[in-house]
Amino acid sequence: MEYNEDHIALAAEYALGTLDADERAQVETLMATDNAFAAMVHAWEFRLGVLNQMVGSVEPRPELWERIRTAVGISGEQQAPIVLPETPPPVAPILLQDSVFQDLEPGAPSSPPVVDTSNVVRLTERVRAYRNIAAAMTAIAAVLLALIGVQIVSPGSLPGLGGKPQTQVAEVKPTPTPAPSPTLAPSAQYVALLQGAAGGPAFILTVDGATRNFTVRKVGAPPIDPSKSYELWLISDKLQNRPRSLGVIGASDFTARAVLAGYDADVVNGGTYAVTVEQSGGSPDGAPHSQPVFIGRLIETVPASPVQNR
Amino acid sequence: MLTPAELVWLIAAVAKGDEAAFERLYAATRAKLYGVVLRILRRQDLAEEVIQETYVKIWNSAGQFNPGLSSPITWMASIARNRAIDLVRKRSESSIEEEPAAMEVAADSPDPLARREMTEELKRLLECVGRLEPDRQKLVLLAYYNGWSREQLAAKFEVPLNTVKTWLRRSMMDIRECLGL
Repeated sequence: MEYNEDHIALAAEYALGTLDADERAQVETLMATDNAFAAMVHAWEFRLGVLNQMVGSVEPRPELWERIRTAVGISGEQQAPIVLPETPPPVAPILLQDSVFQDLEPGAPSSPPVVDTSNVVRLTERVRAYRNIAAAMTAIAAVLLALIGVQIVSPGSLPGLGGKPQTQVAEVKPTPTPAPSPTLAPSAQYVALLQGAAGGPAFILTVDGATRNFTVRKVGAPPIDPSKSYELWLISDKLQNRPRSLGVIGASDFTARAVLAGYDADVVNGGTYAVTVEQSGGSPDGAPHSQPVFIGRLIETVPASPVQNR
Repeated sequence: MLTPAELVWLIAAVAKGDEAAFERLYAATRAKLYGVVLRILRRQDLAEEVIQETYVKIWNSAGQFNPGLSSPITWMASIARNRAIDLVRKRSESSIEEEPAAMEVAADSPDPLARREMTEELKRLLECVGRLEPDRQKLVLLAYYNGWSREQLAAKFEVPLNTVKTWLRRSMMDIRECLGL
């Protein structure tokens, strides 16, 4: 049967998750009685399902397996669960010559006419694809960075098994914080993806709106020669565009500092953040000595849950 | 994480009632599925309940998995996510936020993949999401990742409910057209 746009939208929104309980029940009824409609819903689920690749894994408590085993009624013969060697996926260094877009399907709807194979058009297409993906990734980072609330039953029982390596956050206590200015909402978190020329986040900078403490998390940045250091800079037209050092980014996965507390909120919020490669330990004279290798601007992330008006 | 081919093999074995395969499948996929539902439910007890139901369903319906239509992890995550969404929609009257002892912790840090690790399917979808206006990108992603309802999205974006409905529909249609569906 031919489905009209209402059917298609219903299937799509079911997969997206935005239908209310009644509409979801309606879709489930339709799916049970109409195989073609069910296939359309599944197609949407599979299309959108790839987004889960971006969600971090969280280890459930070990007891959960016992509950599941009991629920399905399987014996406890094999006592200890076979724990597979689960290594977190390695984060491949981002090469500046990223060839990823060469294999974008030529048949995609936005492709140039077949006859036109000029490099210029192909390059334009690739740049556009790159920009769109980078935009979506920035939005994803903003959404995923929101805090989530978890009811802690037993802190000791939370993640650990075979999951991600524990990362230490070196928290530097804030220096006396000036009253946050109105342009930096105190409860908000701000995030910048610091990306290189070829895209893909190298570092994620997060700034706490209340304390202006910032954290730099290394994600895709390639390892650096031991004789060099990555150094973070703040550039703002309110500071005559003279880069101000925010310090060297440590070799560990997280680097946390409080130095932004000394800057006005509009400088912090409106500035550009750049990473340069300096000699080990950072620039000796307070000025950068390389072109920025990674760069980004702050955006406000989304709060964990919207304001409840009750 | 095992390769998709290994997961397909495990699911096929589970369909025949292979308990050891079920245990391996659980070990290989539990953290991803738990991460997905915890983000939506934001409570450990509810997330555990949903994960339990999910694996019971996987045990019972592994034979229905069609590797020609979906990757194994997407199939499993869809089951988990649908259960989580059903739960939050049904509970929307008695808000989860009001439960006692729900405390905020900075949980899963984002896990952006390096671009070369992304599958082609993810790159294509991101390209289409990235073509939407910035607000609508966030709208779609908040709906997907956090399981927000239209009402919650309307509150977040400070627009009337009907506007959110229109935006959602248009966004999904734009994505559909972009994907060439």
